Formats: sequence, structure tokens, C-alpha cells
Amino acid sequence: MLNMLKNKSIAAFLCLFLLVVSFNAAQAAQEESAKQVVEKFQADLIAVMKQGKELGFKGRYDKLEAAITKSHDLNKIARVAVGKEWEKLSNEQQQKLVDVFSRLSIASYAYNFKDFSGESFKFASEEETTRGGAVIHAYLLIPNEKDVKFDYMLKKKGDSWRINNIIADGVSDLALKRSEYASILERDGFDALITKINEKIDHYAKQ
Amino acid sequence: MYHKAKKNKILTALSVLCCTSVLVLSGCATTTTAKTSSEIDPYEDFNRSMYSFNETLDEYVAEPIVDVYNWITPTFVQTGIGNFFSNLKDINVVINDMLQAKFLQSGEDTGRFLLNTTIGLGGLFDVATEVGLEKHEEDFDQTFAVWGIPQGPYLVLPVLGPTTGRGISGTILDTAANPASYVGYPIQALSLLNERANAESTLKVVDEAALDPYVFTREAFLQMRKNLITDGKSTLTDDTLDTDDSKAADKNSKSSINIDPAGFKQASDKFSNAEKSFNATARAFKAASDKLEPSAK
Repeated sequence: MLNMLKNKSIAAFLCLFLLVVSFNAAQAAQEESAKQVVEKFQADLIAVMKQGKELGFKGRYDKLEAAITKSHDLNKIARVAVGKEWEKLSNEQQQKLVDVFSRLSIASYAYNFKDFSGESFKFASEEETTRGGAVIHAYLLIPNEKDVKFDYMLKKKGDSWRINNIIADGVSDLALKRSEYASILERDGFDALITKINEKIDHYAKQ
Repeated sequence: MYHKAKKNKILTALSVLCCTSVLVLSGCATTTTAKTSSEIDPYEDFNRSMYSFNETLDEYVAEPIVDVYNWITPTFVQTGIGNFFSNLKDINVVINDMLQAKFLQSGEDTGRFLLNTTIGLGGLFDVATEVGLEKHEEDFDQTFAVWGIPQGPYLVLPVLGPTTGRGISGTILDTAANPASYVGYPIQALSLLNERANAESTLKVVDEAALDPYVFTREAFLQMRKNLITDGKSTLTDDTLDTDDSKAADKNSKSSINIDPAGFKQASDKFSNAEKSFNATARAFKAASDKLEPSAK
């Protein structure tokens, strides 16, 4: 009887312990600021670049997949990229778009950031947008070249900050995509868009 | 940069420009913030065919020549030639600094031009950047934009590439203000060739990143211009970046009487800052001459 009581109290203690730990973990996730999300992503990217050659495309893709899905809101980016066409798509099409779009985003990172020649990111400043978003201003420093200005636009998704647009030297990635996708959807339709995205992914993977 | 290479100053193309600018001026009356692509690019079909024409021209004429040029010309020579033409353009930069009431910057750019022309051996070496006088990009199109003149329709011109209604008038004045325009065809051909050679990597980006190269080039060109016009301060007011939800953005685009407040505010800021700039200019001239001295030793 005493034993059972003891077991029970251990179990109860364990439960309490787990609760506290998970609560703390949740809180830690909640407290990760927009700046931290961006800096973590940048650090991941630089790490992949440093190992770029050994990893190969597939290796870079796998590492970046985790880094990108953790820090970006790919669902939202895909949705905004097709604009008002989104609502005209069936659930299945929406899912398909998010899927190929995510793969395209990761593949283009894996393709473009393939090696390291002394690049680094430098934080510049942070600001809040009127609608509760955050913008992190940073620079990509490339030895012997002009610094590239990177502005990361973030929004809260649940408890965590997620990147939903990157502006490089004033050129917005999302705005570029939105115009391209809208134009293709209008001219050639949904299937053509998916085919074109898949062709791009194949091209990136063939390097 | 690609557009620059194509946009460059060939005098023969000026006649084309003049004809087109008449056609264009009739179309630049609207000033709404959130425009649809058909408002920005009303002549898309024409532009697309010009775009493919330019692509073909580039592939069969420019690229083979540039390949040979790259093969026979060492990189440092290419850099020198690029610097030389870039230095001549700095005169135009100074003029446009003044016209946009950026007096501090005009002081820096004057120092830059003087430094590169003298110590930089007629502009072959960009010593100014090394002492901290960075290159600025200003031209008449940017000046017109700061004055509140609307962008007008997007246009792709044969050989010259992407521009806008306002950009055409700007290019005519830029050409007039550039000494390289008056020295004869071989020099201009060299300038054009060198810019095209430097554009190689940018061209590769378009080829590799674009699903629709025409739209990609148009968007990137217009955004880059906007970024230059506002000196990098436009990003947050740009509605296309609002990812809150696409419905909100669509709603905005429907309110058609929406005069660009950013443009007006920017212009008035520019003029109210002018006085401050006068004081700063004096300091800039001093700073530039301080920078000149140690490097002259």
C-alpha cells in the first residue's frame, strides 16, 4: 500500500515535472523574437554554405528543408504568391501548390547557396509594422563586393515568428513571385504553373 | 546590369526614343498607388514581342561578341573601362543630386569625380570608393520621380530594353549630360560592350530564377527603379509587401482615386531638408578635401 502510494507520488511528480518542462519549452518558443528567428535561419544558411561542397545538392536540400520550414511561413507565402486566384483553387490544388512551392523555395536556396567565400550576415535594425508584423534589416557582407541589404518581413504564426517575405536591395521576392504566378495562372492556367515550377526544381537538382 | 547595358546611349536609338516618347506621354496621367499589372503594363503584347526580339538579338549578336571580348580582355582592363565610363556618368549624378536637393550627396559626388579624374587617372581607377566616397546612382528619371511626375507605362524598347514613359525622357537628358555621348561610335560601342559583359551574372539570375522571364524582368526593373528613387526607403510603404491577407490588398487596389501620398510627402521632405543640406554640404566639401589630402600624399 505504501509502495503504491509511493509509486503514485512518483508518477504525479513525473507528470508535474513534464508539465513544467514542456511549459518552459513552450514559453521559450514563444519568447523567441523575430530577430532570433532570422538570425537562426541566417546561421543555418551560412553553416550549409560552409559545408556546401561536401553535402552536395541533396545534403544541402535536407539541411535547408528543416531550417526553412522552421523559420518561414511557406503556406502563407504560397497563398499570397497566387493572390486572389487562391480562392478559385480546389483544396487539392491548394495543397499541391503549397507542396511544390515549398520544394521550389528550398531547392533554390540549395542551388544558390552552394559554397562559402567568407560571407556573413550583419544585423542592422528592427522595426514593427502597423499591422503587428516585424521587419529585420540586415546586410549580407560579401568580401570585395558591395553589401547586399536584406529586409526580412515577419508575422506571428501562433506563438512563433515566421518570415513571409525577403527584400534584397529593394527587390521583394514575394512581389516578384506574385506577378509571375498571377501572369502564368492568367495566361496558361494552374497546371502550367505547377509544370513550370517542377521544371525549375529539376533544373536546380541537376547541378 | 542588364537593362543598363541595353538602355545605353546609342545615338541612333535616340530617334526611336523621340518617336516613342510622343506615343508614351499620352498615356501617363494616372497616379494610383496599387495598380494592377495591366495598368502598369498596358502595352504588354507589344512589350513581350520587343522582349523576345531583344533576347534573340542578345543571343545571336551581343553574346557572341561579349564572349570574344571576355576572352581577349583581362578582368582588370574591363574594370578600368567600366570605371572610366562610370566616372563620366558621375557628372550626371552630381547634376541630379542638385536637382533633387541632395546637397550633401552632391558634395560627396563632386569630390568623387574630382578624385577619380585626377588621382584615379582620368577615371580608370575608382580610388574614391576606397577612401569611403561610395558611388551613388542618380539620373533624370529619378529626379522627375522626386518632382512628382508619374511613372507612365512600362515599355520595352528595341535594343535599349526596359524603361517607362518617364524613363524615356530621363534617358534623353542623361544621354545629353554624358560626355561619352559626344565622342563617336567606337567609344560608345566599347561602353555598351563592357556593360553587357558585366551584366553576365545578372542575366544568369534571370535565366535561373524566373518562371516567366518577361514578368520577372519587368517586376525586378520597376522595383529596382523604385528603390533608387526613394533611396531604399520605399520598402515598408509598398503595398505588395503586405502579406496580411491578399484580400486587403485587393480591396486597396479597387479604390481608384488614390493619389500617391508617398510621392508628395517625399518631395516636400526633400525641400524642407534642403536648408539643412546646405550646411551639411559645406561639411561634405571639407570632408572630401580631407579625404583627398592623405591619399594625395
